[in-house]
Amino acid sequence: MVFPTIQFAVFFPIVLVLSWALMPRQHVWKPFMLAASYLFYSAASPVFCLLLAGITLGNQIGAKLIHRSDDARTRKRIIAVVVALDLATLGVFKYYGFFATEVNALLDSVGLGLPLPLAAIALPVGISFITFQAISYSVDVYRGVLAPASTLDVALYISFFSQLVAGPIVRAHEFLPQLESPRNPRKVAVGAAVALIILGLVKKVAVADSLAREIVDPVFGVPQAYAAPDVWLATYAYAVQIYCDFSGYTDIAIGTALLLGFVFPQNFDRPYRAASIREFWRRWHITLSRFLRDFLYIPLGGNRGGRWRTARNLLITMTLGGLWHGAAWGFVLWGVIHGSVLVVEHVFRGRVSMPRWLGWLIVFHIVVLAWIPFRAPDLSLAGTYVSRLVEPGPATLWTLPVVAVVVAAIVAQLLPPRPLERLRIRFERLHPAALGASMAAAIVLVASTVSTQGVPPFIYFQF
Amino acid sequence: MTTTDRDPFILDRPTARRLRARDAIICVLVAVVLLLLLEGKSIRRSGERMEPGIERTIVLAVGKPAGWLADRLPLADAVNDATAWLSPDEQVTDGAGAFQTPPAGVDATASRSGGSAPITEDAFDRAALGEPPQRLDRLATLLVTGDSLAQPLDVELARRLAPQGVRTIREARLGTGISKSDLVDWGQLSVQQTRERSPDAVVMFIGANEGFPFPGSAGTQVDCCGPAWAVQYATRARRMMDTYRRDGAARVYWLTLPMPREATRQRIARAVNAAILVAAQPFRSHVRVLDMNALFTPGGRYRAAMPVGGRQTIVREADGIHLNDAGARLAADVVLGRLRADFASLGS
Repeated sequence: MVFPTIQFAVFFPIVLVLSWALMPRQHVWKPFMLAASYLFYSAASPVFCLLLAGITLGNQIGAKLIHRSDDARTRKRIIAVVVALDLATLGVFKYYGFFATEVNALLDSVGLGLPLPLAAIALPVGISFITFQAISYSVDVYRGVLAPASTLDVALYISFFSQLVAGPIVRAHEFLPQLESPRNPRKVAVGAAVALIILGLVKKVAVADSLAREIVDPVFGVPQAYAAPDVWLATYAYAVQIYCDFSGYTDIAIGTALLLGFVFPQNFDRPYRAASIREFWRRWHITLSRFLRDFLYIPLGGNRGGRWRTARNLLITMTLGGLWHGAAWGFVLWGVIHGSVLVVEHVFRGRVSMPRWLGWLIVFHIVVLAWIPFRAPDLSLAGTYVSRLVEPGPATLWTLPVVAVVVAAIVAQLLPPRPLERLRIRFERLHPAALGASMAAAIVLVASTVSTQGVPPFIYFQF
Repeated sequence: MTTTDRDPFILDRPTARRLRARDAIICVLVAVVLLLLLEGKSIRRSGERMEPGIERTIVLAVGKPAGWLADRLPLADAVNDATAWLSPDEQVTDGAGAFQTPPAGVDATASRSGGSAPITEDAFDRAALGEPPQRLDRLATLLVTGDSLAQPLDVELARRLAPQGVRTIREARLGTGISKSDLVDWGQLSVQQTRERSPDAVVMFIGANEGFPFPGSAGTQVDCCGPAWAVQYATRARRMMDTYRRDGAARVYWLTLPMPREATRQRIARAVNAAILVAAQPFRSHVRVLDMNALFTPGGRYRAAMPVGGRQTIVREADGIHLNDAGARLAADVVLGRLRADFASLGS
C-alpha cells in the first residue's frame, strides 16, 4: 500500500480510530496493530508477509538465546549467525541476480563454463529497511542496550506500517520503550502531524512526480537526445526530485505515526545547505547514516587507528552504503564518490579553510553530480549523460514552472528556518477541525496534479 | 562521521503543541468527510478501474455511496473546474475517435447483413509476394506507445535511434488496456496521438491489463476470452491500426504478447495475440505484427531466461509479465530490423 492512494485513505482513518479506542487494552491493541501492519504490507504481496514473519522470529530467537547466555564467545557466535542470516536474506532477494550475472560474466571471460543458476527473484518491498531494523534489535540486545522484548512487541516493531517500507530506520531502543505502556491520549502532536503529512504530500506528488514526468525521466532515459542546457536542468531537477520524494515519504511516515501517538526520529534536515560532505550526511537520510556509523564504521575501527585506517573505514562504509541502495555498479560508484570526498575532507581538515559559501557551492555540485550514476540505468549511460553536460545545443525542456520549482526547492533549504518555523507554529495552533479541512484541501489540490498514470511508487521503495 | 550524543526527535522542538487523541480523530474525520464530498466520484472511478479483489471491493464500498452523494451535490464539479488547470493530462476517455463512437465512414451493418468486406491491396505485404518492399524515405518521428509493456522498450529504441536523428516520442500509458476504456480510451488516444504527433512510425506494445469484459448488446457483457471477446478486441485494435497507419503515410509495428507466467494471464494473452493477427489482416502493407511469443516463449511456454549471445540471460521481470532491460534489447532488435526494411534513412 502506498501513502498517497485511496486505499491508504480508507485504511488509515479506520486504523486510527480503532487504535485509540483499543489503546488502553494493550493485549488487544498490539495484535490489532500487528494485523493492520501485515494487512498494509500484504497489499504489495501477501507471500512476503511470511518472509516478514520469518525475519521477526529468527531475530527474536537469536535475541532470546543471546540474553540467556553468560558466555561472551557464545553470545558473539549467536549474534554473528543472526546478522549473517539477516544479511543472507537481503543478499538472496536483493543481490543474487546481480552477483550471478557478474560472476557468470567473469567466469565466461576466463573460459570457465561454470555458470551460476539464474533466477528472476522478486524484490520484497522495503526488505533493506526491514532487515536493518531486525539487525538493530538483535545487536541492541547483544550490546545490552535492551532486554529482549516480547515476540509480539518485536513483530510490531519490525512491521509497524508507518515506517515499514521505506523508513525512517527506527532503532529498537527508540521504538520498543514506546510499546511498554499505552500512548498518552492527552499528548498527541496533531498539528505537527498534519503539517508533516501536508508537506510530505506536496513534496512527493506536486514536486517530485511533476519533475520526474516533465524533465528527469525523459533526459535520464535518453540523454543522447538532449544538449547541455536540458541535461544540467535535469541534473538539478533530479537532486530536487529524490529529496522531495524520499523526505516526502518520511514526513508522511512520521506524521501518521505521530497521530497514532508514536515518535520517530527525523530523517532529513535541509541536506542541500551542507558545506561539507560530512555535514551532508548529518542532514541526509540521517537514520541510515547513523546506522552505518554505529553498525559498520565504528565496528571497523572508526577514526581510531590513524589517518589511513580512518580513510579505509570511511571508504568501506560509504561503498557498502551505496551498495545497500541496490545491486548496481552505479550505486557503488555513488558510494565511492561520497567516501572519497569524505576521505579528502578528513585528510585536509584544519589545513585548508575557505568561505562557507564556496564550500557550499563545491559540495552542492559534488552531491548533485554524484546523483548521475545513482539515477542512470547503468554506468555506460551515466558516461553518456556526463558527456552531454558539455554538449552545446538548445534548451528544449526549460519551462517556467520546472525552473521555478527547482530553484525554489533549493533556495528554500538555504533560507534561515525561523520564518517557516513561525508559520508552522501558527498552523499547529489551529482548531482540529480546521487542521482537518486544511488536510482535505491540500489532498484535493495535490490530487489534481496527478496524471492518469497515477502516483508512481516512492523511489526508496525499490531499496 | 562522528558520534552524536542524541538523535533529534520531532517532538523535542519546544513549539510542538499537543492535543488529545480525540482531536486527532476529529481532524482526520473532518478531512475524510470533506474528501468524500469533494472526491466521491474520483474514489468510485478509481475503484471501478482496479483489478477484482478485496481492495477493489473495499474502495467501491466507500466509493459508491460517496459517488452517489457527490452526483447530487454541485461541490465535486465546482472543485474539478477550479483545479482543472493543475491537471497534467488531457481528457482521453471520450470524444473524437472513442471506441463508443462508430468510426466515420464505416457501415456498421455491413457484416451483420452478410455482405463481405472488400479486400484491398493494403491487405498484402509486398515482401510476402516477393516484390521489393515499398520503403519510405525518412523516419523523422517514431511514436512508441502502449501500456507498461512499452517500457523499457521505448527507452531502448530512443537511445538506439538518437544517433540517426530520429525523434522518439515515448508515451506509455500505465495500467491501461484496449478492453478497459475508463482510464484511457485507446480509440480516442490513437486519434489524438496521430493528429498531434504525425508519427512516421508507431511501435505499439500493449496487453498487460487486458481481459476486461466488453459491453454487449442489450446491456449484456462479453467476457474474456472466447471468440466473441476476441472479435471485440480485434475490432478495436483494427481501428487503432487504421488510425496509426495514416492511409499508408506511416508504418505500424504491433508487438504480440510474450506468454506470461500465470495460467490465467496466458489465456488472455492467447486471445489478445489471436485478435492482433486478425486485426492486422486488411493492412498488411502498412502494419507489421512482430511475434514476441516466438522470440521469448516459443511453443507458448513461459521462460524467464533464454540464451543471448551464447549465455543464459534473464529477459523477464520477476512479475512474469514484463520484459526486463535485456528482454527489451532483444525486442528492440526485432523492431529495428523491420524499421530498417521500411525506412531508407536507417540504411539496410
